[in-house]
Amino acid sequence: MTGMLLLATPLLPMAMAMACVSATLRTRMMEWLVLAPLPGLAAALLAVGGPPLVLDADGARFTLELSPPAAMLLGATALLWSLAGAYAATYLRDDPAKGRFAVSWLLTLAGSLGVFLADDLATFYLAFALVSLAAYGLVVQDGTKRAHRAGVIYLVLAVLGEICLLLAFALLHAATSGDSLAIRDAVAALPTAPARPWIVTLLILGFGLKAGLVPLHVWLPLAHPAAPMPASAVLSGAIVKAGIIGLIRFLPFGENLPGWGEVLAAMGLFTAFYGVAIGITQANPKTVLAYSSVSQMGVTVALLGLALAGGQVGWVRLAAFYAVHHVLAKGAMFLAVGVVAGCGGTRLRWVLLPVGLLVLAFGGLPLTGGGVAKLAVKDVFAGPWLGALSSLSAVGTTVLMVHFLLRLQLLGSGQPQERPAPGLVWPFLTLAAAALLGPWALYLGTGIGSLEKALGGAELWAGVWPVLLGLVLALGLHRWGWRLPAVPEGDVLVLTRRAPALLSACGDRLERGEVVLRQWPVAASALLGLAVLLVLAMWQAA
Amino acid sequence: MMLGTTPGGGLLAFALALPVLAMLLAFVAGGRQAGRIALAALLAGLVLSLAVATGVLRGGEALVLTLGGWAPPLGVALRADGISAVMLLTTSVVMVGTALFAFTSYSGDRGESRASLVFWTLLLGLWGAMNAVLLGNDLFNLYVALELLTFAAMPLVCLDGRAETLAAALRYLFFALLGSLLYLLGVALLYGAYGTLDIVLLSRLTRADAPTLVAAALMTAGLLAKTALFPLHLWLPGAHAGAPAAASAVLSALVVKAPFFLVLRLWFDVMPELATGLAPQILAGLGALAILFGSALALRQARLKLLVAYSTVAQIGYLFLMFPLAGAAGATLAGAWTGGMLQAVSHALAKAAMFLGAGLIAEALGHDRLRDLGGAARLLPMTVVAFGLGGLSLMGLPPSGGFVAKWLLLNAAIETQQWWWGLVLLSGGLLTGGYVFRVLSASMAGPAAAAVAVVSPGRQAVVLVLAILSVVLGLLPLASFGLVQIGRLAP
Repeated sequence: MTGMLLLATPLLPMAMAMACVSATLRTRMMEWLVLAPLPGLAAALLAVGGPPLVLDADGARFTLELSPPAAMLLGATALLWSLAGAYAATYLRDDPAKGRFAVSWLLTLAGSLGVFLADDLATFYLAFALVSLAAYGLVVQDGTKRAHRAGVIYLVLAVLGEICLLLAFALLHAATSGDSLAIRDAVAALPTAPARPWIVTLLILGFGLKAGLVPLHVWLPLAHPAAPMPASAVLSGAIVKAGIIGLIRFLPFGENLPGWGEVLAAMGLFTAFYGVAIGITQANPKTVLAYSSVSQMGVTVALLGLALAGGQVGWVRLAAFYAVHHVLAKGAMFLAVGVVAGCGGTRLRWVLLPVGLLVLAFGGLPLTGGGVAKLAVKDVFAGPWLGALSSLSAVGTTVLMVHFLLRLQLLGSGQPQERPAPGLVWPFLTLAAAALLGPWALYLGTGIGSLEKALGGAELWAGVWPVLLGLVLALGLHRWGWRLPAVPEGDVLVLTRRAPALLSACGDRLERGEVVLRQWPVAASALLGLAVLLVLAMWQAA
Repeated sequence: MMLGTTPGGGLLAFALALPVLAMLLAFVAGGRQAGRIALAALLAGLVLSLAVATGVLRGGEALVLTLGGWAPPLGVALRADGISAVMLLTTSVVMVGTALFAFTSYSGDRGESRASLVFWTLLLGLWGAMNAVLLGNDLFNLYVALELLTFAAMPLVCLDGRAETLAAALRYLFFALLGSLLYLLGVALLYGAYGTLDIVLLSRLTRADAPTLVAAALMTAGLLAKTALFPLHLWLPGAHAGAPAAASAVLSALVVKAPFFLVLRLWFDVMPELATGLAPQILAGLGALAILFGSALALRQARLKLLVAYSTVAQIGYLFLMFPLAGAAGATLAGAWTGGMLQAVSHALAKAAMFLGAGLIAEALGHDRLRDLGGAARLLPMTVVAFGLGGLSLMGLPPSGGFVAKWLLLNAAIETQQWWWGLVLLSGGLLTGGYVFRVLSASMAGPAAAAVAVVSPGRQAVVLVLAILSVVLGLLPLASFGLVQIGRLAP
């Protein structure tokens, strides 16, 4: 039974995508997107820690298994996909290309949920490639020039990430004893693998790219604003988590891997602050959210780095828990942008209220979902330095998210009688409620912490002051100082602005070379030269 | 051990006789019936090649037929080992697909019975020559088969009679003749040295002395010219892009694989000691250059068929990475061998689908300029999907056959500590992704294009099936690839 759930999680969206071959089904598929992730949600609730499902066709194994940290992320992600799917049905109701959108959506969904279940290298790589490449269709859906630029940059980076991972997997496989493709065998072989530094570097590059680790983050602030609202929600909430689960699955926590944990933690913390610093210079609320995702994923990666450095397997679950809040809350934020855009007058205030609550939750306001997420990872950021950095990051996040809220309200339609479509409102509200309450349920339900701890006075104050300080700073910044430099979306990407011209010049050279090579005398002498060269080479070997 | 006919060896005679008989029958029956005869023969050939593959797999050894009961060195033998069987099957599948695709275009109905007759007899001749290359066990017979192949392929290039395709065909012919000459010279040297040209016998006799090495080098260089390995590719883009789509498909998918197949025979069967030292590194180096250069040029092409043709230049390069990987340290690495053969098969299926798809797009739009491809996806959705699936296999993305092939080669590169070939594999994938993406994004832009001709869904379906086969290849259980290891002569 649980095996069937695991199998249905990627297969139902796949089957729905296949069904889009029929034009009739394709036009109606948008209304059923809400159903596609439900097996994944059920699996997250029912199939945790169950026996793995192995499809062994003569040694070409496909293994699916659900470990507890993956289950948390799978459940939150599936919920986000489902609600964003419902939202998309309304949001893209009049889009003539919605059939194509549904296909991209379902394929990305299959991969996005698949990465949480895959238990062998081949299945994982397949799922990861699926989520990476199919998401291109989501980014370019609007068909604008900007969307195409974002799409191309996204695709180039995604393929580079795939290449890093393929190389890492091949090196891991070579280090694994026997023919096993199981991830756990590969990870067990990692600490003693001869190519260890290469493998870890490639894994960090491949997964860091997806998770938005600076400087590999450049695709996020381009892709998120360019995509339609529900697609941005899943890009930011669900798809970047493929990178997080990759790190969780492939880094050997609890093993001796000197130095790497510290490197990862430093990269993560740098990303956390970098995202805030660039984010507050942005005017488009969706871009601000993208930079906030960069920052939040930085915190998550830092947690994983600390877990690796400290040899603490248990902290991995806390990092996953922290990411769960981000899945739900960031998804809700993106959905809110679409709701606000169709909203005016007093209604706007009613929508901004839950958004404001989510903003404070991001900063870690106690009693909210974000507060409990921050509380859970408090022990990981132990010691004076890490504690201070953690609080400072909470301050920064608050500043950034208040900045988002202020930019968001400018987006309101300004027409008091306009009301957002109910098909947009209920998924947003459901997701917002899930973001505020869901982490609590997990926190208490899976024994991450206790109610007494969450309600202790010192803990409350430790959670409140960064939010208050952030609020003050953000309002001060807003009131007195918008003299921040205008940083283009994708910041360091400006360094590559001459790349197209350079590549084109290289291409011209190549074409000139080809003209030379295709001349008869050149080709004929190449043929004879090759014959002589081969004789010499063979002679030398003999 | 003398070679004797094995059980099931009789099948091999049929594999040679069937195309020839069908060709004669087509001549007698004329252009209107030629298509039907060819299709029937090809379907029978598909069954036959399945039977050969099953026979080899069941028996666990090569099928052998000594013609007239005379064992080599007196007589001539036909021999089907694992790689023969696999390529025989691939040839049949691609041929049947091409025949179904071309069936209505060359029906001979609208008073064009001559073009129809020429196309179908040439296709059958090409098929027969392919089978002869795959089954031949005598180096001189293989020379004859190779020449037959060139003479059947050359007129297919200029079937439409335009001046530019005629020029491309002659270019192809001249360069192929140059290659044949070198090969023949090598064969003569070998015959002088050993008194036999039978591959199985030679594999036990060859020494690494001067005449043998010169012979091997000459034969290899000649075969490389015919397979268009960089920098000997001058004839390929023009010939493959200029030919009618159905011809391009068989030329790119199958014909260039035949000389490659003989290089494999020469290096791994006749003289396994060749595959050590510097020589295989040279072959793989040219392969690497082909991958990078061909893919980058494909990225720059303005016309779809030229793009696909340059992609063939690049994909041939992958095949040659096999040499240092499968022959490393004297031991033949099973993974690299399987990976290389899988690359040959998956490229054959994917490239056939892509050339046929490009032909359909050109037919429907009246041109194949990439810049003006917008709306093709709405007009021919199945075809564009097929092109994308073929591209998936060329890029080496899972779960395609190309992925498994590149994964096996990559693993072999790591195991033998020749990581630089792994890097070439991967960067080739990136460039391939680039040109496949160019085609897909160009054809998906914009509203439905205006069609100048109606393309039947049946022909689109043929293209899609070939593309799907190239992807599904990757889902076959690894054990079934063991077929390509059967009957290898090297220890």
